[in-house]
Amino acid sequence: MTTNLDPGKIAQLLTLSARQLDQSTLSALHSARQNALKRQAVRAPVFALATGRGTHSLIPDSIQQWVVAGLLIAMLIVGTSFWHHVVQEQQISDIDVAILTDDLPIEVFVD
Amino acid sequence: MRSSVIGVFLLLCFTSTLASAASISWRALSPAQREALAPLDQQWDTLPEIQRSRLIETAKRYPRLTHEQKERFHNRLEKWSKLTPEQREAAREKYRAFNKVPAKEREQVKRMVREQEASKAAAASTVPPVSQTR
Repeated sequence: MTTNLDPGKIAQLLTLSARQLDQSTLSALHSARQNALKRQAVRAPVFALATGRGTHSLIPDSIQQWVVAGLLIAMLIVGTSFWHHVVQEQQISDIDVAILTDDLPIEVFVD
Repeated sequence: MRSSVIGVFLLLCFTSTLASAASISWRALSPAQREALAPLDQQWDTLPEIQRSRLIETAKRYPRLTHEQKERFHNRLEKWSKLTPEQREAAREKYRAFNKVPAKEREQVKRMVREQEASKAAAASTVPPVSQTR
């Protein structure tokens, strides 16, 4: 035997059933709900990366992850300063070549 | 752990690139570099590393110079290498400042300098030779 129940009727039945529960069961359910909400709030990371497979915290939570993050930062700093050095040296060389090949004699620029 | 090893390896590559760029002897230069820096062949190995690496950088531009520029480059290179780092830096600053001057004024200065050079050369050629006593 099948009975067709629409969602509205189900909600009505649940509300009716909840009213029939005694006070201690209601308070137990209420505290369980509160606990579940608290746990969910703690688990939600502040910095999170949403991917297709859920959320991943961006803050490293193990020593290995901290080491990898540190190495990446160090590489970024070294790479940036190396690039800056290369660009600066290229600019200096451009000027040196210009001084050495200019139609003005070198003495004009040298004290 | 594997990513940590890769990270350390890349870090070492960076630092070794920085270190190896400068310390290069005359014999280790390529024929093209030796041609560009030919006036410095005797003193190359005594030059500071930073100067050597900068000269190697300038040598890269040498093949693109005109014949006249190559001649000037060679004529001035020795004098340039004998300047102190401070003198070279001051010269670069002057060159930068000079390049900020409007083109018209720059040309005027160049003309004045050329005239001075020409009159100096003319004066030098008209100086009578010292008479020899018997």
